[in-house]
Amino acid sequence: MAGISTDSDLQGLARLGDGSEQDRLHLRLILRILVRCLHLLTPVRKHVFLLFTGFGLLTLLLLPLSLLFIDTLWTRVLQGNPMLEIEAQLFRVPIEQATSEVGFDSDLRRLVAERLVIWGALIGLAFAPPFIGLYYYQIWILQRVNQKLRVDLLSHLQGLSLRFHSDNTVGDAVYRLTQDSAMVTQLVQALVLTPFTAIPQFLYSALVIALFAPKLGLILLCVVVPSLLAGGWFSQRMRTRFRVARETNAALTSRIQETVLGIKVIKAYGAEKLEQEAFVGASHEAFHAAFRARNLYAVYAMGMFWLFGTFAIFITAVGTVEVMKETELAATVLGFTIWNLGLYNYFKARLGGAVESLKDVFRTWGRAQDIAIGLDRVFEVMDREPEVQDAPDAVPLAGVQHDIRFVDIGFRYQADRPVLDQVNLLARIGEITAIVGPTGSGKSTLMALLLRLFNPTSGRIEIDGVDLTRLQTASLRDHVSIALQENVLFGNTVRENIRFGKPDATDEQVKAAARVAAADDFIERLPDGYDTLLGERGSKLSSGQRQRLSIARAVIKNAPILVLDEPTAALDAVTEQRVLRNLSEWGRDRAVFLITHRLSTIRQADQIAFLRGGLLAESGTHDQLMASPDGAYRALVEAERIAAENAR
Amino acid sequence: MMTPGNGPTSGLAESEDLTHWQTLQVIARAVRFVKPFRSRFAVKIVLIVISLIPLLMLPWPVKIIIDNVIEGQPINEPLRPYPEALAPWMNALAGYSPYELLFIVIAFQAALFLLIGAFGTTGSERESTEGYLASGYDTASRTENEANSGFSLAGGLLGLFDFRWTMRLSQALNHHYRSQLFRRIETLPMPAFDDERIGDAVFRVMYDTPSITNASYRLLLTPITAPLHILMTVAIIGTLYGDHPELIYCALAFLPISFFATLPVAGSLRRMSGRSRKAGAAATSTAEEGMSNILAVQSLGGEENQKARYETDSWNSFSRYRDVFRLGLYAVLIGAIPGTLVGAYAYFIAIDAVIAGELSRGDFGLLTTYFFHIITSAQLLGGLWFSVQDSAAGLHRVFFLMDSPGEEDDPSLPSLTPIRQGLEIDKVDFTYPDGTAILKGIELRAEMGQMVALVGPAGAGKTTLAYLLPRFVGPTRGSVRVDGVDISGVNLSSLRDQMAFVFQETVLFDATVAENIRFGRGNATDEEVREAARIAEADSFIRELPEGYDTPLGRGGGKLSVGQRQRLSLARALVRKAPILILDEPTSALDPETEARFVSTLRSINRDRIVIVIAHRLSTIRSADQIVFIENGEIRERGSHPELLAKPNGRYQDFVALQSGGED
Repeated sequence: MAGISTDSDLQGLARLGDGSEQDRLHLRLILRILVRCLHLLTPVRKHVFLLFTGFGLLTLLLLPLSLLFIDTLWTRVLQGNPMLEIEAQLFRVPIEQATSEVGFDSDLRRLVAERLVIWGALIGLAFAPPFIGLYYYQIWILQRVNQKLRVDLLSHLQGLSLRFHSDNTVGDAVYRLTQDSAMVTQLVQALVLTPFTAIPQFLYSALVIALFAPKLGLILLCVVVPSLLAGGWFSQRMRTRFRVARETNAALTSRIQETVLGIKVIKAYGAEKLEQEAFVGASHEAFHAAFRARNLYAVYAMGMFWLFGTFAIFITAVGTVEVMKETELAATVLGFTIWNLGLYNYFKARLGGAVESLKDVFRTWGRAQDIAIGLDRVFEVMDREPEVQDAPDAVPLAGVQHDIRFVDIGFRYQADRPVLDQVNLLARIGEITAIVGPTGSGKSTLMALLLRLFNPTSGRIEIDGVDLTRLQTASLRDHVSIALQENVLFGNTVRENIRFGKPDATDEQVKAAARVAAADDFIERLPDGYDTLLGERGSKLSSGQRQRLSIARAVIKNAPILVLDEPTAALDAVTEQRVLRNLSEWGRDRAVFLITHRLSTIRQADQIAFLRGGLLAESGTHDQLMASPDGAYRALVEAERIAAENAR
Repeated sequence: MMTPGNGPTSGLAESEDLTHWQTLQVIARAVRFVKPFRSRFAVKIVLIVISLIPLLMLPWPVKIIIDNVIEGQPINEPLRPYPEALAPWMNALAGYSPYELLFIVIAFQAALFLLIGAFGTTGSERESTEGYLASGYDTASRTENEANSGFSLAGGLLGLFDFRWTMRLSQALNHHYRSQLFRRIETLPMPAFDDERIGDAVFRVMYDTPSITNASYRLLLTPITAPLHILMTVAIIGTLYGDHPELIYCALAFLPISFFATLPVAGSLRRMSGRSRKAGAAATSTAEEGMSNILAVQSLGGEENQKARYETDSWNSFSRYRDVFRLGLYAVLIGAIPGTLVGAYAYFIAIDAVIAGELSRGDFGLLTTYFFHIITSAQLLGGLWFSVQDSAAGLHRVFFLMDSPGEEDDPSLPSLTPIRQGLEIDKVDFTYPDGTAILKGIELRAEMGQMVALVGPAGAGKTTLAYLLPRFVGPTRGSVRVDGVDISGVNLSSLRDQMAFVFQETVLFDATVAENIRFGRGNATDEEVREAARIAEADSFIRELPEGYDTPLGRGGGKLSVGQRQRLSLARALVRKAPILILDEPTSALDPETEARFVSTLRSINRDRIVIVIAHRLSTIRSADQIVFIENGEIRERGSHPELLAKPNGRYQDFVALQSGGED
């Protein structure tokens, strides 16, 4: 959208929705959003066509019927004027008698009234189910459109880099997915259905009135000019307020989400009151913004109605005079030649219809500003180009035969802050590479680059000599299993959590993976075994148990590259030994990367890479590194040994 | 540790459905809840009455135009006598020519129009004020209108005032209600919270609370305004056309018709609404979970899986909402059949009266308009029960959380005086309601200046034991005492003020580094913040951040490494300067060097405090004054490191051997 940079360079990712571009919004934006949304209708176009046909047919049937029914009621039955031929035919009364002054007596009027009422009721009842059915159908269609937009948005969000996610709140994403995307259902209503029904209705009413009285029809058409001018003045201001309302509500959603997420810390530090105050503040702000937005909208709607109403009162007054004078009509319409009471009522109904449709159009226009802002917020995210994208000629990774090579890797979040610099590393299939170093030295980042969660700022990573950027990202990630440092579990069953990265894994495979991770025992002891539902983030389990599930999840992918990021930090010594034994057995013909601080684990590696401050300080086997007298690794081992000896 | 599946409120164990009686109770409770707003409700009722009066006068100008202007009947010789209240006004108009009358009527209409935004009889020439915005076809997006509900029967200046008053009232109600729910959520005890889904909490606070608006308006406004509207209308018809009471009966018949048409489906509506809300909450949860854990989703290749889950949950929420909607349509349809027949009969009577010369055409227009006035209100009253079912489902979900037992922080309880001696855990058991014993007969003492290490296999109950001290959980037997005072008898905030807790999972907030550290103690000076960061070995990396201590961390501290986040959470605990410091695996992500430095600094500052640490690392454990080895919820061994090592065949000895096993 306007004003939002779509480049994904490292500094260009500002936070979303700072509202800075709101002043630049105008009609073009709304039209552009409409065009974008129309293509969302493509998958349901058959249904839309059917729906329109249905509504069109029903309306075509009902419109002339209602005209005849109204005239028969007012002019004929109530006033006693003889019926028109077509009316007599419709109500199946003797034509000659009904169309003559004398023959249309009270008895016949009663008969017609009886039929009018009964048939009217029956027609009403008969038409209700198809109308209701079509309405329901319309909702189903629009829900489908909304569903597609939601899922597309989620899918796009998932493809955006971690940097984007770190800069934007979860609550904001949730708000965009739930609330902003819902506007698509109304956009169709507001910018397609309403204009398609209300504008013709207005024109039709104006035309009918113009047929009876050309001057009045012209006046009615004139009302459009001032209303458009006023509408433009209001809509600019409404959009700004609608945006603020959406932003504050999204912020409130975030506030709730973050509070619940951090509830333990809040409790432990007695910050409940503080959080409560912050919530009350955010809630107040959201309501205030909503008030300003909705109030302006109501004032706008009222102002518009005042405008139409003034015209309508004037037109009615002129029309009344015409009836009193029994003026001749400008043209003969459906057999009417002069102004009479029935025509007057019909005229008033048409005028009412015209005002109603104008009111509809302008109210809808007001709402459309909010709808556009909502959808703008959806497209704002959709227009963000993912930092990591497949090249057009990207190929799938067919397997890993030989090695993974990090060549001159450099990475920085911000220009002046290198996280990794000039890292060169070669890892072969069948080897365990231990990545060692102080916290914050870039170990996890190096692995994130291997998964292509980011692109390196400089240098490249090659698998069997092929640069990662030439591979399809999805197939690359299929070939890498990772057990994360933070053991994230999802609100699902144990089984589903283990096969998270490989949904088609069989139960047997799930069990086998759990056995490798030494998780089988405790899972079997859970109330429902593998079908036990975990709370969100797996909070029912101890951290050691979560860690083992997360290892099982990595194992089950059966990928040639395995990354274990501090896999045993939360395990007690006994379990750790078991897990490591199983893993070294299992990982025999894979390339294994192991980030760890534990010497006992490190020593089992074929190669040790020592990172410090983003630089590869040294690398080699345990023995090689120990041979270097001033080596960082050696110092680490020495320190550990002294500590261990003290312990004994 | 929490044992799986048996937390006190594991899952959302709320009942799926309510009986009609329970529903009544829920709604009655909502009405009691709005008591503080009663004067504002009273004003709203007055506003409704004020707007009804001019609305009822609306048909008169139309009648005058038809009968007296167009048809030219003399105004003082009406077919039917005017109602008493109006007679003087009508008679005052006698003697004017039709054109003069037309002018007067138009002027009157224009004035009425400015004031109440209406001038004709039909709906189209009338503006009722509202500020409803577009919403989608799912429960969540529908509720924003409800929370900000503003409406008026009238338009014009009166309508605008009424509208603003109502919206302010709705917002105040919702603000009050959701703040209460939020406060409740904050006080829910910790194990309950572990099981709640965050998206569900968001849904309840944001989208279930607005049910209070509909429920209270329906119950407080409709029963007053609808009968009033009916009575006023009936009085007018009665004086005008008293010889046709059938018409009034017909109109009133819509009350039982709507009631009986909707009653059989009211229960279904409530259930379906409940399901729709549940499905909406599930979709919100799935989205929230995926976004919160985006690193896991991306690195484990779970995008397709997450997308499929969301696709299912989202469509489910749409479908369940459609169920609610379908039921509403169905209720309209079944009510329409008897309604149309009764309406047709009433019409026929009125037409017959015109044919017989008993009524003028103008009267007919007037009569049918009033007829619809009565129908509208009669349907509102008759469908009242049906129309609150959706709200009842939402309210039930809110009250469910509000009723979940929270931590009782009784401010009338004495405050805990600053700790001087030490703390004592005396014969404590902790058992979940389902009988799973987590802790058995725990006895533990810690003196000021002591460091106690809790050691044992995963799932042994170490974290639960630590949770006893700040009363995150209460013992099922035995007591926890600080300086000899049972902590269950002191007020909670004074207890927690004396403790700093570092959790296994690091949670940081979307704020600057300094703000995150200062979360431990709001009034800590910059110097104290830096001091805490130095002890936690965080100062050096913080200084390297682009804006140092003022660097915004982003969501969840996403830009820092896990070890850096852990150090910030240590600093947050240290800045609190609380006499009791509880660390649950505080150094798992730190490298040995950093850890060693941290532990030795910790030792040097703990002279005037008690440090309880849960750890697997020998290097941390070793320096403790007292090591407590826990297994299966029981204390197996205790003593200092050398003492325990000296124990032949001790559990701790095995543990140490394994830890250092294989190392040179």
